[in-house]
Amino acid sequence: MTKEKSGKNVRELTLDILYEILEEGAFSHVVLSQALSKYQYFEKSDRAFITRVTVGTLEYLIQIDFVLDQFSKTKTEKMKPLIRTLLRMSVYQILYMDRIPDSAVCNEAVKLAEKRRFQGLKGFVNGVLRTISREKENLTFSDDSIAFSMPSWILSLWKETYDQSVIRKMLTWFLSEKPMMVRLNTSLAKKEDIIKSLKDQEVLVKESPFLDTVLWLEGFDHIESLLAFQKGWLQVQDLSSCLVGLAANPQEGDVVLDVCGAPGGKALHIADLLKGTGHVQVRDVSEQKVNLINENIDRSGFSNLTAQVWDALVLDEAFLEKADIVLADLPCSGLGILGKKPDIKQKMKPEALASLAKLQREILSVVWQYVKPGGILIYSTCTIDKQENEENMTWFLEQFPFQPVDIQGRLGEKLNCETMKEGYLQLLPGLYPCDGFFLSVMQRVS
Amino acid sequence: MAIRTVRVIGDEILTKPCKPINFMTPRISNLIGDLFETMYENNGVGLAAPQVGILKQVVAIDVDDGNQYVLINPEILETSGSQTGQEGCLSVPGKCGVVTRPEWVKVKAFDENMEEFILEGEGLLARAICHEVDHLKGQMYVSLVEGELMDATEEEEEE
Repeated sequence: MTKEKSGKNVRELTLDILYEILEEGAFSHVVLSQALSKYQYFEKSDRAFITRVTVGTLEYLIQIDFVLDQFSKTKTEKMKPLIRTLLRMSVYQILYMDRIPDSAVCNEAVKLAEKRRFQGLKGFVNGVLRTISREKENLTFSDDSIAFSMPSWILSLWKETYDQSVIRKMLTWFLSEKPMMVRLNTSLAKKEDIIKSLKDQEVLVKESPFLDTVLWLEGFDHIESLLAFQKGWLQVQDLSSCLVGLAANPQEGDVVLDVCGAPGGKALHIADLLKGTGHVQVRDVSEQKVNLINENIDRSGFSNLTAQVWDALVLDEAFLEKADIVLADLPCSGLGILGKKPDIKQKMKPEALASLAKLQREILSVVWQYVKPGGILIYSTCTIDKQENEENMTWFLEQFPFQPVDIQGRLGEKLNCETMKEGYLQLLPGLYPCDGFFLSVMQRVS
Repeated sequence: MAIRTVRVIGDEILTKPCKPINFMTPRISNLIGDLFETMYENNGVGLAAPQVGILKQVVAIDVDDGNQYVLINPEILETSGSQTGQEGCLSVPGKCGVVTRPEWVKVKAFDENMEEFILEGEGLLARAICHEVDHLKGQMYVSLVEGELMDATEEEEEE
């Protein structure tokens, strides 16, 4: 058998991953996690390279294309898809990865072009990349859309609601590197013991000032290798999403239904808060998603929750007025998580917002009926869009026999916002150290 | 010791099963030395006897983990997990292809003193063990390649 040169393989693999996402429309988090689990034998540094270049290229895509179009006679939209992807990931490395010499980036790109049977374009790839490398100090970006690599339609949408300084904070936050956030299942182990286990495995642990049951983790390769993860003590979950469990404020013995629950973070949180009592039923639309939930349930070992394939649009007569708490974390445009899933910037289109808002209303029209009189419904999304959030909440309160619940004081000491009195909260990324997230709590009147 | 000629794909000898070795002889001892030498000369990480035209069950492996492994009459006992990655072979010069192999293997074999031992390998070592053991059965990695066989363009001097 012959030796393989890992550097080359890693770059080619990254090219293939990005090609699948950018040219074939696959979801970045899916492709990336599949590839990383398939190539677990790669060195930690190689795996980090793959992730960094994939995510970075997607994050900076608008800016990268602007730069490419400035220095290439053939505009990005006219390029051969493979060459376009190769140039995009190479420009990312030239602009944002100081530790890799530009000459190495150019050479590797030329070799890859040749290997993928574009011998004729070797000169083009080399020329464009070397020019960009030479000119990179003189680049100027005329507007925020290019400087922060954000589609202009999203910027205009936010400008209707938020002022410039707030938007800038969000844009900066999306592009900043953030450690992984996890929630602790404190009914399984003490916080000190979990932190000790993590530190024993040389993980850098930082506590959150907002919630004492979440931690930021850094300095590990894959989370599956952490004992605390294997034992179910950790659930990968953003601070914002953990607020749902707290806002729900479940009481022992409660029956809880999560209608769109994959991968199960919020439901597990509530199961943890119920301390083994009551019952949580988590649903999602496909087998694949429910498998994901089951993996997380199995890991936690909790026996008070079950997962089931069920389309939230279909009414389940058997559950009418049965739930003390219904969680409706519905499909949304995802504008609050552009830092984590940067391909949303390319995939989401302005015209989709209205149809998503409509879908949310359709689901809400079904699932409110599961709430017991006196029980609550929590409507949440991971987006920053009035139409899907505040407007849908207002609509819901008009349509159905519900009233907003004052959630002041439920979400920890540090988190306070005027609107919490009126039962809702729009978290803006960068203003709080978490994803953009909307949550509203409404009680069914008896 | 000498560098031997590596047989390339198309040579019938690479498709034939190899015979087990019953006892150590000076010829086999020499062969083992030559396998390593030929392998290092060609920048390989593993070489099986049939690749130098000898139909005997012996392979040499060195994946830069500080060990030189000699496996005589190897027999894979257990495997687990899977890894997908590029693989190449000295008998298929200039080419490589993506092959999925077990991530971990446990193999029983005899060493150069004909003493039985058990070797467990993961990652690249597991891949090399599987690849070389296949040679002894007359099997080549090309039949396992996912997608197409590609040109290996890692050497600068090819340009």
